[in-house]
Amino acid sequence: MHKSIQELFERLPREFRVLYRQFLLRVVDLEALSIQADVIGFLGQFAGVLIMLSMIFVVRLVGPTMMMPPALVPAFLSGAAWSSEQLTISTMMLVVGIITVITWDATFPDRRDVMVLSPLPITPLTILSAKVSASLSVLGLAVLMLNLATGLVYPSFLGSLHGSLWGVPRFFVAYWFTMIAASLFLYGSVLTVQGFTSLLLPRRVFLRLSAILQLVAFGFFLGVYFLSPTIPTLAEWQAPENQWWLACSPTYWFFAVFNQLNGSLPTELAGLALRAWIALGIAVVGATASLMLCYLRTMKKTVEEPDLVPGASGLHWTPRLGNPLQSAIVHFSFRSLTRSRQHRVAFAFFLAIVFAIALAVLRGELSTAAPEPLSPDFLMSTYMMMAFAILGLRSVFSLPISLTANWVLRTTQLCPSQKYIAATRRSMLVLAVVPAWLLSALLSFPLRPFAQVGGHLAVLALFGWILAELSLIGFYKVPFTCSFLPGKTNFQIVFWGFFVLFITVAIPLMFQEWEALHELSLYVRMVAVLIVVAAALWASNLYRAKSAILYFEELPDEMITTLGLMSM
Amino acid sequence: MLELRNVSKHFCGIPAVDHVSFSAQPGEVTGYLGPNGSGKSTTMKMITGLIEATLGHILFQGKPIEDDPIGYKRRMGYVPEEPYLYTHLSGAEYLIMVSQLRNLPQRESAERIDGLLRLLSLYDDRHASISGYSKGMRQKVLIAAALLHNPELILLDEPFSGLDVASALVLRGLIQELAVRGKVVLFSSHELDTVERVCTRVVILHHGKLVANDTIEHLRSLMEQPTLEGIFSQLAVEQDTESVARQIADLIHA
Repeated sequence: MHKSIQELFERLPREFRVLYRQFLLRVVDLEALSIQADVIGFLGQFAGVLIMLSMIFVVRLVGPTMMMPPALVPAFLSGAAWSSEQLTISTMMLVVGIITVITWDATFPDRRDVMVLSPLPITPLTILSAKVSASLSVLGLAVLMLNLATGLVYPSFLGSLHGSLWGVPRFFVAYWFTMIAASLFLYGSVLTVQGFTSLLLPRRVFLRLSAILQLVAFGFFLGVYFLSPTIPTLAEWQAPENQWWLACSPTYWFFAVFNQLNGSLPTELAGLALRAWIALGIAVVGATASLMLCYLRTMKKTVEEPDLVPGASGLHWTPRLGNPLQSAIVHFSFRSLTRSRQHRVAFAFFLAIVFAIALAVLRGELSTAAPEPLSPDFLMSTYMMMAFAILGLRSVFSLPISLTANWVLRTTQLCPSQKYIAATRRSMLVLAVVPAWLLSALLSFPLRPFAQVGGHLAVLALFGWILAELSLIGFYKVPFTCSFLPGKTNFQIVFWGFFVLFITVAIPLMFQEWEALHELSLYVRMVAVLIVVAAALWASNLYRAKSAILYFEELPDEMITTLGLMSM
Repeated sequence: MLELRNVSKHFCGIPAVDHVSFSAQPGEVTGYLGPNGSGKSTTMKMITGLIEATLGHILFQGKPIEDDPIGYKRRMGYVPEEPYLYTHLSGAEYLIMVSQLRNLPQRESAERIDGLLRLLSLYDDRHASISGYSKGMRQKVLIAAALLHNPELILLDEPFSGLDVASALVLRGLIQELAVRGKVVLFSSHELDTVERVCTRVVILHHGKLVANDTIEHLRSLMEQPTLEGIFSQLAVEQDTESVARQIADLIHA
């Protein structure tokens, strides 16, 4: 199999093959990786996460059937089928959406491509096809991995519900076709929007708008995923309150397509399937047209574009945020976070979760008659917003912005390490804790009793401080100056470890606080304990920082690459 | 005075810099020359403290630099060989960051940054992102950052790289002026004409070893060569350059 694919690949034109390999490597943004990064390991971990998700979906559907009498299994599967299928489609669309955002610029020629490739005898069409093929390869791999378990198990369990001999294979074909079609729709839609925006706008404006569009798309995909309801029965599909979602969300359209192909589409939902087919057609045609036009028209425009883009006119205010060192590090962190594409996208992932929670809270709040006392759910939502903001910033701090430029921080290191670590803490507080706290305050004050909100915000501030101190244990670095080692760090273990720890701490804290908000003495005791914990963590970090050595990574280790022949 | 005593740097046992000793005096410009891979930039990095010497000592004003690294960094300005900068910042933001990291008084450094940006013809583009700067503009940012705190020791590794004629002439005059004002200037370059005009003495490195350390005048008379290029060719160029050029032309013609 591998050999035949290799032979087929070798038959393609040589220029295409060379470019395809180059672009495939660049889909994973090497600038964000460490000198010692293990790209293959990183991709392996990414595939592992997707397969794990697929397995979770399978266990979620099949697990309960193992513990029930066989006679009840068909009824259970019939009841669970729609929600499982919707969840799989919506998760797949989310993953594809995230990939399109991460590989946002990968399909369009950048300035470097144009400058390097234009003088060579290569047609724009070859460049275009190599770029699209590289992006589609990554996308295809993700779709395959995410559906590896569900794509095999769902047909055998749910396809047999139809009774006929062809139920299983038909389900299998319908499932995979729907997944591929939904992916193409999303990928095509993003390309269409990007392509036509780049054609219609001056390139300079497009580059600025593109960065905003990328963030909006990220927030949109996550927001839709977290906020869309699962609609498990036909009666609910016909309910008036769900019609808006059905009309607007492509997840439901492709769910209808799946049922249409599977032969189980109720006639009431035929309109949704038609909507999906039309949308797919528009996305594919739009993407093809915009890409072709883009390659033919904007490659020259890119060369003609001046190197130097004038800075934004107007305010260039740099407020003091502590001593000069702290100001320098906080401003540097803020600018890295807002101006670097990789960092913006990585942080947006966590911010989108924060805003999705905020939206969910707001939706719940607006549906109740204000003002109502704080509920445990509300408290938990604010804890989660705070935790994800801190986790997000701490993760992004570990993505280097430019390892080669770190020399300036080393040659200007005129203060002891502890001052730099204090400046890093200040960045964490200013860029994560304070915004999450303010957002919680904005959500609480207009809708909840003033005294309770004040009490909760004090607890939340302490909770944020504790999390910030925890996140900075052993972090003897300036933000954005050291490597995240994809494939070498066990990101999943860290993430899930954090999640388990958060749940373990947050749930008892939530109930404790809820009780304390109704009893002053309990509240005072609780705040005192939180202050002691926060101060103890701060003191411990401070003590360790005194003997810490600030770590920079801007040069590879002093070593010569060996061929490993000694072991042969 | 900057002094190197028997300084060596080994990478996995292979010497990149081998027992190098020389000194650079205040009030004079010392040229540091050598072919590619001779160990010039490695020496510069050791003098800045970015990497540690395997053997030997580096002294500034008579004290080993590792005795008081912070005090030493306060008095040292460095222009690296490659214009590596945080390109997501603007020129002005970068210089402000460096001034804050060096804990310079805010008002004084603001005036100095403003002045340097104007004199180096960067003022109009000070708010543009460095990612859009040309190589010469980046070089000017590096020069401004190195001089912002009025250092006593100035280390210049290929400072003319990418500069236009006018800027190169300004920099040449600036290097001489800084030396006149009592700074210790160590200047590494491949532009031998410039080195000959600017430097009082030269140190030449070849295969990591010191092959010359003298005034240009003395070397001229000693080696009976009218130019620094002739001296350098005798000491550090092993190839018959004309023959190599001919061979390349033949190769691509074949």
